[in-house]
Amino acid sequence: MNIDKIMTDGLAFALPLFIMAIGGIYSERSGVTMLSIEGFQGFGAFVGAITVVILRTAMGASPDWLIYIATLAAVLGGMLLALLNALMVIKLKSKMTIAGVVINILAVALTSFLSSVITGAVTGQATTKIQLSVAPRYTIPGLSKIPVIGGLFQNIYPFAFIIIVVAALAWYVLYKTRYGLRLRAGGDNPHSLDAAGVDVNKLRFSAVVLAGGFAGLGGMAFTYTVANFSPASYVGYGYLSIAALIFGNWNISTTFWTSMFFGFSRSFSDQLVNELGLSSNYSDLFSVMPYVLTLIVLIFFSKHNRPPRALGEHFDKGKR
Amino acid sequence: MKKVSNRVKSSLSGLLVPFISIVLTLIVASIIVLLLGKNPIEVFLGFLRGSGMALKPRYGGGQGMLTDFFSYLSILTPMIFASLGVMLGMRAGLFNIGVAGQMLLPGFLASVIVGYSDLPSYLAWPLIIIIGLVVGGALGALIGFFKHRFNIHEVVTSIMLNYIISYITGFFINTYFADTVTRNSRPVKEASRLLIAGQTGGGIRFDFPVGLIVALIAVFLMRFLLERMTVGFRINAVGLNKYCARYAGINVGGNVVLAMAMSGTLAGLAGVTYYLGFANNMVPKVLVSLGYDSIAVAVLGNVAPVGCLFASILVTIFQKGSIYMSSNVGVPQDIASVITGILLMFSASGQYIEETLQRLGRASRSKRGSKTDPDQAKA
Repeated sequence: MNIDKIMTDGLAFALPLFIMAIGGIYSERSGVTMLSIEGFQGFGAFVGAITVVILRTAMGASPDWLIYIATLAAVLGGMLLALLNALMVIKLKSKMTIAGVVINILAVALTSFLSSVITGAVTGQATTKIQLSVAPRYTIPGLSKIPVIGGLFQNIYPFAFIIIVVAALAWYVLYKTRYGLRLRAGGDNPHSLDAAGVDVNKLRFSAVVLAGGFAGLGGMAFTYTVANFSPASYVGYGYLSIAALIFGNWNISTTFWTSMFFGFSRSFSDQLVNELGLSSNYSDLFSVMPYVLTLIVLIFFSKHNRPPRALGEHFDKGKR
Repeated sequence: MKKVSNRVKSSLSGLLVPFISIVLTLIVASIIVLLLGKNPIEVFLGFLRGSGMALKPRYGGGQGMLTDFFSYLSILTPMIFASLGVMLGMRAGLFNIGVAGQMLLPGFLASVIVGYSDLPSYLAWPLIIIIGLVVGGALGALIGFFKHRFNIHEVVTSIMLNYIISYITGFFINTYFADTVTRNSRPVKEASRLLIAGQTGGGIRFDFPVGLIVALIAVFLMRFLLERMTVGFRINAVGLNKYCARYAGINVGGNVVLAMAMSGTLAGLAGVTYYLGFANNMVPKVLVSLGYDSIAVAVLGNVAPVGCLFASILVTIFQKGSIYMSSNVGVPQDIASVITGILLMFSASGQYIEETLQRLGRASRSKRGSKTDPDQAKA
């Protein structure tokens, strides 16, 4: 069996999933139930892809650094949709789960609607599929020769480096800074936070918007692994990242391992289908594996799970 | 007396908030259409024409407004069932986001077991309905059981089940039941479609959806269950405050499983009426968006059975009429989903709209008061 390939593909899937889950952790630790990661990642990726198309047409060339512009645009796009989500949840006091579904429906609808309007206007072709250039991949010399885990250092996408840096930063902010401490208090005991003179709603607002940015980054990374974007790109990785963070007990370092678990179980099942020489139909049967595993694992672990105490409740000063 | 007047008032505001949501949505949708340089009235007329509620300029032979209208009714049927399912879950404080999956599995099994067989309609129809009831109910009960026994949130379980169902049915459709040309599943036999086909009225052909009668019965059954029966009272109590319900001696876990099972049952009926009454085949690995739109419908319908019926009627106009509208007015078909999304956004903010109305009401009252009271006006 091709262990290098399992390692490479697993990491390429696990890292974007991990950064999206971090977004979910930020939002949920601040007390806002987060179901809209799926919408953020897709909409962010759409904004990134459409930026590439517009710039490419304007310049008549497609240089390599366009990938980084796309990533930046995706982060901003995710944040834009998150702004709407935060507005609904905090200002308009919608139920958080319903707001999440609204954002997901709106994201899919807006993406297909806007992509048929904009790509038609820019490229003159009526298609909702946006073709992107193939991302460069790097192999680290030396480390990539290590047996078994060498695959982790081969053919790495540039996003892997960005995600690792951002994730480390996110971990530091959440656990080592005053802002992070307050954010975590927002989900457990918002009233004591309020008594300490912190504006709980503003804090939650910032957490949701940050979640949108993280998800946008993850979404763009997923999009570049297949090198094109279409409204069919909403395949539920956002939901999977929510499963990863619940399985990871709302904790960044644990969630890192659960994301890796999802990534490698997926690449392993793909390789298994290849190895056994089965037809491509059977890969569907094996694609079920991460979801079945999640349910089985949750049956054993969710008794010990401790979600943030005030998760899903609107902050009301008058309530104790 | 006071109680009665409160009741009248709450039912009025229950109508006012959805009404305002609808008006706001139409305004926003009109602005989007205007930005595209199209006429909003043409667009809305296109939706109505596509749903058989307004006359099209011309029709094909033997077709008429009635044909479109009954075709609209056949997609309305699963929408009513699905929104009732979401509604019942919400009443018990459960969020059934997995309606699409709970539609697909019963639809798939009914197609495979009954749809491809040679059973006559009078045997096939009841069998299909029973498969919908049992399979949907079992899926719902499983989700409820996982929540009750293992403390796994129903949203997580239903999302995982959605994927598992869509991949596994996708595998079987691709491997055993695929049409060689379309790659979708083979269409089900005429006799097992939940339609009384080939009716004529005034020389116009139409197909009558059998499921619609069941759906209307379900609406009133749900209303009776929630308003008049002990089971409904318990479910409401669990949804309003589960600690209070437990203190009152209600078996919270049992009712969670029961409510989820009933929600799944309704979703199952939505599935069989969709896949064997409207679509007649299945696209592998695709969950229908109707399953998610039904959440919008349930919220817009104020989480009440009759509200769900009226909200379904409205939202289905956009979904059904979009194809005709798009080909005749030239606005992309996806605007239907955008409108549904905006509608859902406004109706989800119902509490804020209500509070704003109350604030405006107070402001206008104090204004009127200040006119009669000069002292207050000076201050």
